[in-house]
Amino acid sequence: MNKQEIQQEIAIRTINLNLWYGHFQALFDVNLEIKQGIITAMIGPSGCGKSTVLRSVDRINERLGYVRITGAIKVLDKNIYDPDVNLSQLRKQVGMVFQRPNPLPISIYDNVIFGHRLHRPPDVKLSSRQEDEIVEAALQRVLLWDKVKDKLKRKATIDLSLEERQKLCIARLLPVKPAVLLMDEPCSALDPKGTAAVEELIWELRGEYSILLVTHNMAQARRTSDECIFMLMGKVVEHTDTDKMFVTPQYRETADYIEGRYG
Amino acid sequence: MNQTATHTSTRFQAEPINLKNIQVQKLFMILFGLMAAVLVIPVILIIFTLLQKGGSAISWEFLTTFPSNGMTAGGILPALLGTVWLVAISLLASVPLGVAAAIYLSEYAPQDHWLTRVINLATINLAGVPSIVHALFGLGAFVAFFHLGTSILAASLTLAVMTLPVVIVASWESLQSVPFAFREACWNMGATRWQTIWHVVLPNALTGILTGIILQVSRAAGETAPIMFTGAAFFLPFLPSSVMDQTMALALHLFTISTQVPGVPEQIPFGVALVLFGIVLIINTCSIWLRMYLRSKKKW
Repeated sequence: MNKQEIQQEIAIRTINLNLWYGHFQALFDVNLEIKQGIITAMIGPSGCGKSTVLRSVDRINERLGYVRITGAIKVLDKNIYDPDVNLSQLRKQVGMVFQRPNPLPISIYDNVIFGHRLHRPPDVKLSSRQEDEIVEAALQRVLLWDKVKDKLKRKATIDLSLEERQKLCIARLLPVKPAVLLMDEPCSALDPKGTAAVEELIWELRGEYSILLVTHNMAQARRTSDECIFMLMGKVVEHTDTDKMFVTPQYRETADYIEGRYG
Repeated sequence: MNQTATHTSTRFQAEPINLKNIQVQKLFMILFGLMAAVLVIPVILIIFTLLQKGGSAISWEFLTTFPSNGMTAGGILPALLGTVWLVAISLLASVPLGVAAAIYLSEYAPQDHWLTRVINLATINLAGVPSIVHALFGLGAFVAFFHLGTSILAASLTLAVMTLPVVIVASWESLQSVPFAFREACWNMGATRWQTIWHVVLPNALTGILTGIILQVSRAAGETAPIMFTGAAFFLPFLPSSVMDQTMALALHLFTISTQVPGVPEQIPFGVALVLFGIVLIINTCSIWLRMYLRSKKKW
């Protein structure tokens, strides 16, 4: 399979997705195809629905109780709103990275292995060697191993910088081998140096994971994504290659937004 | 040049209105400070009076012997043990129930659902019910309806009903103080609500829950009315042999010897009060110390 063919595979497909919070309609007929193995950025002004799309893909929206959805979201060709879908299995495949790094108040080591332990069948016993290897591999992958290898047993909420915490939050998703990573403004709590480091990491993960990245930062969308989606008022305005969108946007709204005339 | 210097040196000087504001602010600080200090006075007076009048009664013998001479002499052993039994059994009933209810309300119950609102309303109202009403409820429900008779069990359950709402509220607040981001992180990794509660929420809420429970110990130990009709006796010449027996209790014993028995030397009721107060004080201090210790270890 050459690279072109890999890119044809669709990781997330939304079909006529409409979403209401109570009586407020947040999404209107959203049809998206997020390709596998690349980074897709979602941009748009606050309240345009980009985070709503993101939070629908791992169905975390539902806990609000008053969310209603029509249409379908297919992740790896399976409609995640089918009655036979298990939320735990879905979220194992679809990892989420938040705006504010939110490591759990347990040790760095336990943070990384947490998801793996959650999803491990009770009859599968791992030696501590095997767990060590999983933790090391995940931390290596997010370029954090050298920094934290001497303090793995210390609390993750104490002496890590925000950048390191965010990397840890990405690392803890990896042991369960997700297919899709959703990132909700993953750098907006970080300083410029941290932002650069996390962006570098996201780029590093490209290929192995399908990444959907919501960002307010257009420069970031431009730097880090292959394709870009522009949303406005709950509708998808434009979805195209990032290079094209920032050079020759097809719609007035897109052009106005990326030139900073509103938003 | 000279003019500039003068001008600079008078910059940022207080004007009359600023001076007045400062005075008013000082006045209120002193006023409120005094009021806060007033709080301490009753506590100190109580401790002082109790020590002065009851201190001489306290001895090992006082704590380990039965009352004698129609309760005008001797010790308080059955009342002391009775209180320990009542408090322990009431906690055994109210803590699991209260913590479980708090977990449901905090972690599972859909907000703004009518049932949630009903439960919340019931909790708040239960907390406001006077203890004598709890006593009558206990008499009707546990003593009569469930045929427990006047017994340690019936009295403990009555105390449990009384302490339940506060256990619920304290536990609920403690659960709510665990940052939402932790739950979100957990859910998004595919944890069920229960896994989230067990691995993340409860361990971090435990401090507050414990403190809430411990504070209820002192409340249960001090109540007289709820146990009066349901299982506590004025005087028993023996220790209870099972939870179906009646028992003496410190609070009721104090009431009895202060008001119902003539000729009790003054230092005995004050001694009983001192023991009761001491227990409460020790438990509360432990609770505060425990909370500070656990808080200092908790960082996020």
